[in-house]
Amino acid sequence: MSIFEYNGSALVAMVGKNCFAIASDRRLGVQLQTVATDFQRIFKIHDKLFVGLSGLATDAQTLYQRLVFRHKLYQLREERDMKPETFASLVSAILYEKRFGPYFCQPVIAGLGDEDKPFICTMDSIGAKELAKDFVVAGTASESLYGACESMFKPDMEPEELFETISQALLSSVDRDCLSGWGGHVYVVTPTEVTERILKGRMD
Amino acid sequence: MKIDFSGLESTAPLCGANSEMFDGISTSPSFQIPDTTDFDDFQKEAIQMVKPAKGTTTLAFIFKEGVMVAADSRASMGGYISSQSVKKIIEINPYMLGTMAGGAADCQFWHRNLGIKCRLHELANKRRISVTGASKLLANILYSYRGMGLSVGTMIAGWDEKGPGLYYVDSEGGRLKGTKFSVGSGSPYAYGILDSGYRYDMTVEEAAELARRSIYHATFRDGASGGVASVYYVGPTGWKKLSGDDVGELHYMYNPVEPTVVEQEMSEA
Amino acid sequence: MAKVEVDAPPKGGFSFDLCRRNDMLSKKGVKPPSYLKTGTTIVGLIFQDGVILGADTRATEGPIVADKNCEKIHYMAPNIYCCGAGTAADTEAVTDTISSQLKLHRYHTGRESRVVTALTLLKSHLFRYQGHVSAALVLGGVDVTGPHLHTIYPHGSTDTLPFATMGSGSLAAMAVFESKYHEGLSKDEGVKLVCEAICSGIFNDLGSGSNVDICVITKGQKEYLRNHLSPNPRTYVSSKGYTFTKKTEVLLTKITPLKKLVDVIEGGDAMEE
Repeated sequence: MSIFEYNGSALVAMVGKNCFAIASDRRLGVQLQTVATDFQRIFKIHDKLFVGLSGLATDAQTLYQRLVFRHKLYQLREERDMKPETFASLVSAILYEKRFGPYFCQPVIAGLGDEDKPFICTMDSIGAKELAKDFVVAGTASESLYGACESMFKPDMEPEELFETISQALLSSVDRDCLSGWGGHVYVVTPTEVTERILKGRMD
Repeated sequence: MKIDFSGLESTAPLCGANSEMFDGISTSPSFQIPDTTDFDDFQKEAIQMVKPAKGTTTLAFIFKEGVMVAADSRASMGGYISSQSVKKIIEINPYMLGTMAGGAADCQFWHRNLGIKCRLHELANKRRISVTGASKLLANILYSYRGMGLSVGTMIAGWDEKGPGLYYVDSEGGRLKGTKFSVGSGSPYAYGILDSGYRYDMTVEEAAELARRSIYHATFRDGASGGVASVYYVGPTGWKKLSGDDVGELHYMYNPVEPTVVEQEMSEA
Repeated sequence: MAKVEVDAPPKGGFSFDLCRRNDMLSKKGVKPPSYLKTGTTIVGLIFQDGVILGADTRATEGPIVADKNCEKIHYMAPNIYCCGAGTAADTEAVTDTISSQLKLHRYHTGRESRVVTALTLLKSHLFRYQGHVSAALVLGGVDVTGPHLHTIYPHGSTDTLPFATMGSGSLAAMAVFESKYHEGLSKDEGVKLVCEAICSGIFNDLGSGSNVDICVITKGQKEYLRNHLSPNPRTYVSSKGYTFTKKTEVLLTKITPLKKLVDVIEGGDAMEE
């Protein structure tokens, strides 16, 4: 068993037209045992920046707390929110600092940057950035998610269509994974509003 | 090198046993033993190699009207779900069912093999084999292969001359008679529901609902169980499939949810 | 008073405080994670006016292609670039670190960076970590002393060569260089040869794939040709797109309108006392 499979997770982010969506499953397990079905893996950093943390839940929460801390320091010093690109570099630096004893955590970062240009990115557990123009995935269902997104994604989707695509990709992928699923959690972010939805999914 | 298990053979010899036609059927099957210096290590590796279809929830219990048998339908390889529609309840003959947990191939093959043996017993003795007898046939085979990598955890449930019968048989050679069993990775969850809801004098409907509910709760908590909860009932006239419900829908039947209206969070104006 | 344990932004360097826990986990039989790798073909050659670097654009994680179009030619200085193979995080981090050290050095000296400076900084960093920072690099650039091309191995050893290849596709690429390289190549010939070498890696090595990135550095100028060749375009996109037969069922929706940021007008009237 890999340590990434201890708690189980599925994360995906997609870019649409002037908007983005980030989605995760809701399961927290201890190997095959499901412990919670309302677990949160996507966190808000500021109104237009979200981070999803897949992998070991304890590390995800610790890492999240450090990220919030660093972001608040930045806000105090700079009196502005961090750009997604900057935040990605921060996450990368925090992860690479622990190059030889990493957090068992693979982040997905999604945000709206300058002029509300969507930005998505993922990393491995030691902070190798992978910038993408279309979609990024992480977690135990990542292989199924790659397949689903690769076939379902199309460029320049409007928020409603983007929501439908990311939800279907997530739900169909987690249905092929023992360790993730039990519902879904989707955020669609446009320049004017954030829509958060809880998805109805298979509970097995 | 071959191990000869003919001594374990319990079916009566057929008339004209030299007939080549029956050779493959009546002699007990045997595997080629691998030529290796370190047989113990080889076995350990072999066990690791053939490990798919591990996670399962199956259960069976005896009640007033007969035996209730139920199972999920998921097959997984590691974290990957390879099928959501596996038949884990194997119909051995019209009066007997077997359940499948452990290696899918091992279970399927030896249940089919057991089916053959039961039919041969019926032909030789002009009456149906008892559940006790059938389970012992299987247990003897599994014992003869003990430690060689077979992975089987099964329940043999049926109705014979003495009424309902239920046995648990596994590849370690164990064979237990009982009234209530659950096997597989989801069994602790299933036992929880089963033990709290079980009464001997249930009706068939009540028993079926208990079985279904037990499977559903197991699929909810156990990552390796899921798919369809199928329920079989074995009565004096043989087995009957009562239901096969998708647990995806079963969850929302047991826990109805109303989609809440859109919550609009006002920005502080 | 005890030192206040505040998680202040660190000054740099590695932190080893999770090592003990992770060791314990791996002793208990939990597999350590795999990292993003660049199973790669990277090459470089010296031509008549300078240096050409080339790279493929595939990043892998085990058998999965994690990124189909990543950048493997990293910026070191305006006149120096560096191709990286190995663990992606390491190549990225090591080139970024050294590039910032070079910039500071330029501010300090007011002179253009030299390739040997970059080389020494890189190799001493890699040597210090005894191969645990697994970056295999091809460093190329043009400085006051002319064009230079070096390869750097993860343990810190270096080579100085007229043409070099690195990564899992290095054998395929080297075969092309060995048969076709000669001194005094023109720019077009050089670019063509680099393309051929990278393509050889893309098509013959499973760890390499997708597109060809090229960087031409000559005296006083450089040309970064991102996706110079795209020999593997996607062929399987449905023109109809994808439609869903059943709508996703939503249990709860929450809409939060975002506040418009307040515009600050500079130079307004001072507030009255």
